[in-house]
Amino acid sequence: MAESICRLLRDGALEGEHAPALTIKDSIASPFGFHVFAHVLSQLSSFILAGKSQSRGLVVVCFSRSPSFYLELLKNKGIDVVSSDKRIQTLDCYSDPLGWKSRLTETGNFMACSHETSISRTTNVFKDVKHMDKLYNSIVELGKGLVGGGKIRFSVAIDSVDEMLRHASMSSVSGLLSKLRSHDQVSSIFWLLHSDLHEAKVTAVLEYLSSMVAGLEPLHQPANGQRGDMENFSLIEHNLKKGKFHVRFKRRNGRVRVMVQFSLQLSEKERIDKANVVLPFEHQGNGKPIQIYDGRRSLADSKHERPVGATETVQTSEDSGRGEIIYYRDSDDEMPDSDEDPDDDLDI
Amino acid sequence: MVMEDAEAPHHMLLLRNFMAQGLVHNQPLLYASPARDPRGFLGTLPSPAASKDNKSYETDPDQSKNLQEKGLRIAWQYKKYFGENQLNFDGQKGSLSLDGKHEYSNEFDLRKPLDRHFLNRQHVDCVSIQDSPDLSVLRDRCSTFSSQFPRNDGSVSCAGRIAIQSFCAPQCAYSNMEWDMLSFIRSLKSMVRSSNSVAIITFPPSLLSPSFCKRWQHMADTLLSVKAIPDEDKDLAQLLTGYQEMVGFLNVHKVARINTQVPVILEATTFSIKLQKRRYLVLECLNQAPVDGSSGTSYGTSGSCSGSSKAGNLDF
Repeated sequence: MAESICRLLRDGALEGEHAPALTIKDSIASPFGFHVFAHVLSQLSSFILAGKSQSRGLVVVCFSRSPSFYLELLKNKGIDVVSSDKRIQTLDCYSDPLGWKSRLTETGNFMACSHETSISRTTNVFKDVKHMDKLYNSIVELGKGLVGGGKIRFSVAIDSVDEMLRHASMSSVSGLLSKLRSHDQVSSIFWLLHSDLHEAKVTAVLEYLSSMVAGLEPLHQPANGQRGDMENFSLIEHNLKKGKFHVRFKRRNGRVRVMVQFSLQLSEKERIDKANVVLPFEHQGNGKPIQIYDGRRSLADSKHERPVGATETVQTSEDSGRGEIIYYRDSDDEMPDSDEDPDDDLDI
Repeated sequence: MVMEDAEAPHHMLLLRNFMAQGLVHNQPLLYASPARDPRGFLGTLPSPAASKDNKSYETDPDQSKNLQEKGLRIAWQYKKYFGENQLNFDGQKGSLSLDGKHEYSNEFDLRKPLDRHFLNRQHVDCVSIQDSPDLSVLRDRCSTFSSQFPRNDGSVSCAGRIAIQSFCAPQCAYSNMEWDMLSFIRSLKSMVRSSNSVAIITFPPSLLSPSFCKRWQHMADTLLSVKAIPDEDKDLAQLLTGYQEMVGFLNVHKVARINTQVPVILEATTFSIKLQKRRYLVLECLNQAPVDGSSGTSYGTSGSCSGSSKAGNLDF
């Protein structure tokens, strides 16, 4: 399911269409929102750096954590941001969001800490978070700095809409998100929201502005009014380890696709089983007859057997004159295109 | 007024139809939306569907088995104000067929954009409501527009259409001014009542507080709502005939009854929104898929002729 989300962000927007926008929302009962945000961020970054996405750059707007945190996070995922500073830039709304430090420095009452204002090729400090217009201009300017003008697009990641709403009104934040979505050069945009920090209307507004909503919910709901109960404590503890991932996609054909995943991580056994699955048409290339996987069991299990039923044999190098299907997977993480819909070009 | 579903853009289909119909009838149009450049939306308005023989714009009678926006036809009752001799259409550009019949409700081809000459006329006006700090600009524009069609005794020479999309969209600066928005709707109603114009406002009810949502619904003469349909829903697919073609639902909550006490009793209030051949917007009564005949229960409502998988004693 996370792959579907990342794929949609990777594929970006069609001409004349608003950019796909993802809201990741969680609450204290299932506080995994940042993990999902970090996963999507690293996936999209790797797509961008590999040249596999519509967007050619990424602007990370940092409100709740410092830019260096994200650079470290991406580095730990194997993404070398320093050498790829031409693809990823951060807008630092964390260090001095209201410009207080600057003002204090000017009056001589404050010595700026060197590591916070360290010169970084990937970080730009923004000091006026109350003005969404200026923030919008800064994001667009950074993005254009990454990809140039013209028709090349960039993506935007906002680590905390909650922080934005501390400083600016809902309508101005909505205006910023809406303008970014409708900007010709924005390919995709995603943001994180802690829904229990706001009134329901705020969540409704952000969902309205999104084309995908990924919500994290607790697996087990503790009973109301019995907070002190030991059983509830263990439920809460359990909810801190596992959660329910619930995604709603607004499709181009006007329908809504709902997906629910009951565990946020694959277990070790599930990972092994997934790795053992051989997709149809995968080129084996060892000169021996290939058995097309019929979907029931992996090749490793059936190596020494001749399964009856739907399997067929295909000759390889001896029959090079005939056509053959060679299938290259984009990545090991990518599932077969099961959610491709012929109606996707139906644009209501 | 049309209550939007935040998860689907079906209200845009209705707006496109309303606006295109007006332009085809040579009726002035005022369009307001939260977009930066509302004029861009005009490029997506559909063209009237060409008939099979290319001689007239009459709809194919075989296609009239569906309700064809029946709910909207009830709402747009302006047609009874037009006299037979009032219309002056160019037979090639307008919707008047060669034998003199008036087409009040065209079928539109969503895949074919409306001819540019409809949009280049002087009487198409667009307003962006995104950056307005309050509603005074929009109110003035609507007032100026509707004053072009004063209501006199006698027949109507020309009518105007006002289309306001996503009125309480969150990016609009006035979107938290609930009383002001309600007051605007009341003003608009009075403008429309005292002129020969009609107005359609779409809004997402989930973005309003419940009490104001109720107030807005009360203000509407005709009230519709659109709803998204879940994708790949096996239960719905079994329950509804033609689920594969459906993109959503339309509900008729209220129909305008002005200067009369006689209520409208509709045959149905819930319609499926379908895109026939992915180009024609079609509203159909919901048809329940046939129940297994062997159990003795009856088949679904009107129009469905699909057979059941098992033949039973009551099959016909």
